[in-house]
Amino acid sequence: MNDSRSIRIHYGLRAVILLAFALYIGHLVQQDALHYYVAPKLARWVKLCPVPLVLMALSLSVQALFGKSNVLCDCDHRLPRSGHRSVVLYGLFLLPLLLGFLLPDRALGSMAIAKKGISLSYLSTEPKNNVTFESTDPYHTEFAELAKKLYAQPVIPVYPAIFSEIFGAIDTYKQQFEGKEIAVSGFLYPTEAGTANNTFAVSRFLVQCCTADAAPFGIMVDPGKQISLPADTWLEVRGKLHIAHYKGQEIMQITAESITPIPQPATPYIYTSPDSIAAWDQLQITAQTAK
Amino acid sequence: MTTLSPFKILPLLLPTAFLIILGVLWLPHHLELLDNAYIDTFKTAFIGILLEALPFVLAGALLSSLLQVFVPDEMISRWIPRRPVPAILFACLLGILFPVCECGMIPLVRRLIHKGMPLYVAIVFILAGPILNPVVYGATLTAFRSHPELAHARMGLAFSVSCIIGLIIYATVKKSPIRLSVQRESEDTHHRSTRGGRLASVFVHTSDEFFEMGKYLIIGCLLTSAIQTFMVRDSLIAIGDKPLGSYLFMMGLAFILSLCSTSDAFVASTFLHTFPAGSLLAFMVLGPMLDFKNSLMLLALFKTKFALYLFFLIFSGVFIGAVLVSVWL
Repeated sequence: MNDSRSIRIHYGLRAVILLAFALYIGHLVQQDALHYYVAPKLARWVKLCPVPLVLMALSLSVQALFGKSNVLCDCDHRLPRSGHRSVVLYGLFLLPLLLGFLLPDRALGSMAIAKKGISLSYLSTEPKNNVTFESTDPYHTEFAELAKKLYAQPVIPVYPAIFSEIFGAIDTYKQQFEGKEIAVSGFLYPTEAGTANNTFAVSRFLVQCCTADAAPFGIMVDPGKQISLPADTWLEVRGKLHIAHYKGQEIMQITAESITPIPQPATPYIYTSPDSIAAWDQLQITAQTAK
Repeated sequence: MTTLSPFKILPLLLPTAFLIILGVLWLPHHLELLDNAYIDTFKTAFIGILLEALPFVLAGALLSSLLQVFVPDEMISRWIPRRPVPAILFACLLGILFPVCECGMIPLVRRLIHKGMPLYVAIVFILAGPILNPVVYGATLTAFRSHPELAHARMGLAFSVSCIIGLIIYATVKKSPIRLSVQRESEDTHHRSTRGGRLASVFVHTSDEFFEMGKYLIIGCLLTSAIQTFMVRDSLIAIGDKPLGSYLFMMGLAFILSLCSTSDAFVASTFLHTFPAGSLLAFMVLGPMLDFKNSLMLLALFKTKFALYLFFLIFSGVFIGAVLVSVWL
């Protein structure tokens, strides 16, 4: 049975672990590294976690230091009963902290794509109409509206903030965008690794909640010449859009005119935008004033 | 007092082994060994799932402690309708009021059972809560922009499967299936006078809950992220080639991926052209009801026999339901 002294030790250890979790979250926020793990809409809630964690740690340490011995009784039978059980339990909680503090924060890359499989076209939409940018489906009107705005551009800028929507809009109306110029950034994923084929995909991970649900999206690029860049290099690709066939599927492909290596952007993942049209207009204004 | 049953510590051995290996590796001149793509991917997935679940687990633990300390036992049972059918409908709607992810559900439900919520109502809440809520409905609609009927089918199937399982449990389970070790605490009537008053005792309780559920959560996250790091998804698609095979495959995938119910629809949508719509439905309904993380937590709360019975009911209910619904899709 746990006596009051060992309960105090347990409470003390738990307080330290809870504090360490709070510190780790604080560390991630301070390093601006939270977005490597969770999407912004969830990050809000993760940032709040240190508050209850610290309060829990405080209450536990108050009990451990000043609690009356006859009150500390483990009547819930919830503390581990034996020595090595405690080691296992607290070791388990230390594991994420060790991993978190020791290893560098990295974004997912080509290795994860190889396991998950890349999407080269926007799968949840089907090409229905080949006439103009019209659509009766309310969920398609957003893409149609965006496609109109994209089509008016001399060079289509694929803003990271609405990457997936632009990708979807272009993919839905592939025929109309044939031959249009585009500029897109992402990291290099060699789709044909090990073959003589030079094509690669300029890719991004779409994250909904956390990195467990990260879905890789990519646009196929035909570099035209031999390139010697390793996988995971961040690139900006400019070129013309064409329809290509890949594994029995109609996809869009960029015939590259220029491929420039760039530094990894501050936010490597992409997220969905609630209103891509408004986001587009906003981004256009910012881009114009920057010029 | 120190009775160690080998089956209880077996699931804990794996992470310990991990920890030892990591400790051995952690020598200054070996640090570059850790610097490889597998460990990076593993770490990113592991911390990602853990951080995602953390707010929900804390919220669940906090809510359950608040219930424990501030709400008298009779209050909950007074709110719940006496007769089974209205009670089950009530439990389905509870999810709309508390949009808690499934990880926060179990501590909350355990407290509710102690406070007098009937078992079948609690089970319906566990099953329906993570799916039948506005957040998940919105996320599913966004993921299936061109197939809104799938989002409606998901809600409908989750509703009917939870109601049917609730009725089956109401009719078949008479004895309390709560584990004895968990039960004992409710019989304990003497009030602890915690230092710092009731507020401090809320937080002490919260941390008890957090450590109790946290260990299952961390084991679940470890296994899930290991699978995500080392399993090649394309190689498994061949298994799901046969019409019914695809249902089993998608349900197995839902179980091992342990995704949050608000984001699994987006993962499902990437399979839209490879698998029939019915199997995606099975994926999206089974995942939130039953996955690695919460099956470990359910096993900790309920006796093994009942937990296995519940797993079987969920699995067959979702399977039959999804096949039936796929006729209309």
